[in-house]
Amino acid sequence: MEAHAELRDEALARLAACTELAELRSVEKDYLGPEGAIGALLASIPSLPKEERPKVGAAANRLKKELEAGLDKARGELETARVAAERAGGDFDPSLPPRRAARGSLHPLTKVRREVERIFSSMGYDIADGPEVELDYYNFQALNIPVDHPSREMQDTFYCDEEHHLVMRTQTSPVQIRVMEQRQPPFRLIAPGRVFRNEEQDATHNHTFHQVEGLVVGEGIQVGHLTGTLKGFLAELFQRQVQVRLRPGYFPFVEPGFELDVACPFCDEKGGTCRVCKGVGWVEFCGCGLVHPEVLAAGFGGRDDVDLDKLTGFAFGFGLDRLVMLRYGLDDIRNLMGGDLRFLEQF
Amino acid sequence: MFVSIKWLGRHVDLTGIAPEDLARELTLRTAEVEGCEPFAPHLGAITVGLVRERVAHPDADRLSVCTVEIGAEEPLTIVCGAPNVRAGLKVAVATVGTVLPGDFKIKKAKIRGQASSGMICSLAELDLGADHDGIWELPEEAPVGSDLASALGLEDWVLEIDNKSLTHRPDLWGHRGLAREVAAIFGRPLLPLDTSIPACGAGPPPQVTIEESAAELCPRYLALALDGVRVEPSPLWLRCLLAAAGQRPLDLLVDLSNFVMLDLGQPNHLFDRAAVADGIEVRRAAAAEEMVTLDEGRHTLGSEDLLICSGQRPVALAGVMGGADSKVAPETRELLLEVANFHGTTVRRTAMRTGLRSESSARFEKNLDGELVPAAAGHLVRTLLSIQPEVTLPSPPMDVGVYATPDLSVELSPEMVRERLGVELDDNHISTSLASLGFDITAANGVYSVGVPSWRATKDISIAEDLVEEVGRLHGYDNIPPRPLVGELTPPLHDARRTLVEALQDRLAGGARFHEVLGYSFLHAELCERLGICDQPHVRLVNPVAEGEDRVRRSVLPSLLGRLEINRRQRERVAIFEIGKGYLPEEPGDRGQPREIHELGLAWSVPPSDKGAAFDDGAFSRLAGVMEDLLAQLGFGCASFVGLAPDAGRPAWAHPGRGALCSLADGTAVGFIAELEPGLHRPLGLMDDLVSDVACATLSLDALLAAEKPAFRPRKLPRFPETKVDVALACPAAMPAGDLAAMIERAGKGLVGDLELFDLYRGANLPTGQKSLAWHLRLRAEDRTLGENDVARFLGRLERAAAAADCTLRRD
Ligand SMILES: [Zn+2]
Repeated sequence: MEAHAELRDEALARLAACTELAELRSVEKDYLGPEGAIGALLASIPSLPKEERPKVGAAANRLKKELEAGLDKARGELETARVAAERAGGDFDPSLPPRRAARGSLHPLTKVRREVERIFSSMGYDIADGPEVELDYYNFQALNIPVDHPSREMQDTFYCDEEHHLVMRTQTSPVQIRVMEQRQPPFRLIAPGRVFRNEEQDATHNHTFHQVEGLVVGEGIQVGHLTGTLKGFLAELFQRQVQVRLRPGYFPFVEPGFELDVACPFCDEKGGTCRVCKGVGWVEFCGCGLVHPEVLAAGFGGRDDVDLDKLTGFAFGFGLDRLVMLRYGLDDIRNLMGGDLRFLEQF
Repeated sequence: MFVSIKWLGRHVDLTGIAPEDLARELTLRTAEVEGCEPFAPHLGAITVGLVRERVAHPDADRLSVCTVEIGAEEPLTIVCGAPNVRAGLKVAVATVGTVLPGDFKIKKAKIRGQASSGMICSLAELDLGADHDGIWELPEEAPVGSDLASALGLEDWVLEIDNKSLTHRPDLWGHRGLAREVAAIFGRPLLPLDTSIPACGAGPPPQVTIEESAAELCPRYLALALDGVRVEPSPLWLRCLLAAAGQRPLDLLVDLSNFVMLDLGQPNHLFDRAAVADGIEVRRAAAAEEMVTLDEGRHTLGSEDLLICSGQRPVALAGVMGGADSKVAPETRELLLEVANFHGTTVRRTAMRTGLRSESSARFEKNLDGELVPAAAGHLVRTLLSIQPEVTLPSPPMDVGVYATPDLSVELSPEMVRERLGVELDDNHISTSLASLGFDITAANGVYSVGVPSWRATKDISIAEDLVEEVGRLHGYDNIPPRPLVGELTPPLHDARRTLVEALQDRLAGGARFHEVLGYSFLHAELCERLGICDQPHVRLVNPVAEGEDRVRRSVLPSLLGRLEINRRQRERVAIFEIGKGYLPEEPGDRGQPREIHELGLAWSVPPSDKGAAFDDGAFSRLAGVMEDLLAQLGFGCASFVGLAPDAGRPAWAHPGRGALCSLADGTAVGFIAELEPGLHRPLGLMDDLVSDVACATLSLDALLAAEKPAFRPRKLPRFPETKVDVALACPAAMPAGDLAAMIERAGKGLVGDLELFDLYRGANLPTGQKSLAWHLRLRAEDRTLGENDVARFLGRLERAAAAADCTLRRD
């Protein structure tokens, strides 16, 4: 038998025996590579007798093409087999608990505050801020709460000095005066922030909590604007029409003053045994009213660019913690400031 | 405050008005009604019984065995211990199963061997006052078998009104004042009440003097002598009204005094006339003057307190409580009635100082109407006469003081009412509303002059806006149509701090996987002591919520540190942040307010890393990475961390050697980052099972807002391929990595596009005192593909620079 025929038999046998890509690669290398057998065969041609040369050359080239085609085919078959094997899936268990990703969270008060800010911002309100350690003047006097006023005792103020000159602000309302001193009406703003009251603590009262103050100053402001604004805000916040009721309420810095109740979102005004509204069907939401002329005078008095006689406004203030509790159905306000991640990480 | 609906009915006809409707209308138009409950529902479960027969208990002297008919087929046998039980008496019977006040359930019982099925009740057992003679003797006409409430006409409803909603309304602290509101709300007339003082004898009137320095504190004082009074139990109607209003009936005089207070809102006091025989003197207390009040309390007073005296001796603490010596005794027949008007703030302060806040002081502190003084006297005397007609008034009343009937009127234009409320109310509606509340309207040229009634003239109503409120609330605020606000459309003001805060929060809670916590502004002394920050200046509370919790934080970080332990107990990785305010009292503003700072605090705690852990596995490195990312993300460019000189100031929580200032590219320091001071691990509870690597950082929002942001220029994609080169530099152990990085950058002459430390090695194969840092570099040029020559020249430069700095370039 001639050498090239032997070579062909051997090569085809090895190709047929291949079961892996690596074996195919070694067959390719051994026969088709730069130092492979077919190359050697071709290299040997000049040393052959002249009449054999064309025959051997043709056989070598045929074998080369045959092997290349065989390798391609075998690769294709192996790939098909691999894909088929992989697709079988084995004992894959999708219910195996996944590797846990670390998580981060925003505080629920931050989340709800941002929502409140977004809604008011979309209605053209600016967002203002004020100090938590506040002058008595801004927290009380300028808000029509003189030194002897009984409502000072209602508020259980934390005092920062014996002279009661500095207080931990008991409300966000001092921002009203600070803004009036700085700005030219008309304007509308909200001022969210931390407030402090030295009260007994329980599931619904904490000595530190958060309020959102609202203030609109301009000409021709009416009670209807206040209800319209708050109704609009609540509808957007709860993503549905919310029943509200307005009733008389006393706050020295507004006149007339109101309390705005919201139909209990948990029992839909039915009351009964509802824990959230204690069966009343309404939840106190905010204190509000038309800005008291004394407050406008304290904030804008003595300025040439403001005509106090024409100036009107409304103001409101609501508790953010309470809103968070309503929003998520929480029953203990103290969890909000408790710093326990088992609670906070859910938000 | 508790309000009896039956009592209101004495002043206004309530026919056809359900209690719930009354409660709702009052809430919507006057003051918040917090409760609306039937009065003493247990009285409906008590049956009128007739004692048929009474025999002595065979085995107990003081007990009787009674046969009581209650309208059922069989009479009941009841053992009773009262001395006044006797055959023929109508009594109040609680049958088996009835629950009496105090959750006392009547059961079948054997008392000293005698079966007893029920109980004959006393007034006290039914919550209707003190026992006088044992069981309650019912009127003869009470029908046997009917329930007690309907038999005696005791049905009533009690409204509870939120006192806070009455703060500004002294006129609503009595039933008549509330009835006036009800009358106006429902459009019914307020029934007349005769409060004139009846004819008096011609004897010398009581002597009353008000010391000049006390004139403002006691604008009006009326004293009236009463003779022939008998101290006895009050009639049933009076007891029931008082009980419904939450006032325990005691005896006629106490009850009458309370009745007048709860009816007109005017407190008053009855003295034993013998105890004030020297006449009444109203004066300020002397410094450190002592007095013993009715409740046996001893109080040390001062010139801010007002006293009622007789012959120099204090007999009452004005408006707050009577004195122990002038108490009316059961045998007292001659009395002196005091009705006065005291300065609200004075009474409030005295009541607070002495801890004697009472129904009386609560009313005085609201600034009462001075016209109530004679009215309350007349009302009390007339009510007393209706019960004890034999009582006489031996002399005219003495009514003294600087008080003058107020003459207050407020100008109001009906147009203003419409404008402020935003409702089209016609003039007539407006004036009728006001008139129904007692305002006196005179119209001229379209403007009203509104006379304010005396009961609304003490601070309550003084400006036109107050009258707008009156019209608005009677109309019903709910009837005002909501409308949108109209204004110019401009974008809201940009608030750089808010934008910064939100960006920080989002990055931290998002990519960095931190949890936001909010800590209290108040730091407890214990935590401050543990952190060693007690000596720092803090704003201090005069009246902290708890002993020691009086420091207002300067920085948010201490609050975060205080939260590590509880959370480390639950999880290995605690990564928390807070953005908040701190207060620095040592840098006061122009009005003495402390300087306010805005700060981000971060704390990261992980279990300690293993010996073989990567160099960047520790808490410091991780936290520094977070800081770097935050600042880059916020557009502040590349942050650097610069070690501090050993003597430089650092926060008390910071490790003395493992901390750094965090600076922006231009060198502005914006924060501080450090591992936790090792001495704090134990005090903070991070030992044993909870032993942790802790790193903390603060970032000053104020510094960031003041810093200039470099213009943001995103890097272009490289046009020519990069060449990756790894180099290792051995250097003295103390040399900062930052210096080596700078050395590489310099040697690169602009070719170093990216530089990443991937290994830090100390140990074998290195000379002692040396460490080796290995870096991945990416070299690139803007204008060509770098060749081997470029790399070789770079390595040559680096080698020379290293040698010059006592380092070695290791190439392998
Ligand atoms: Zn509810």
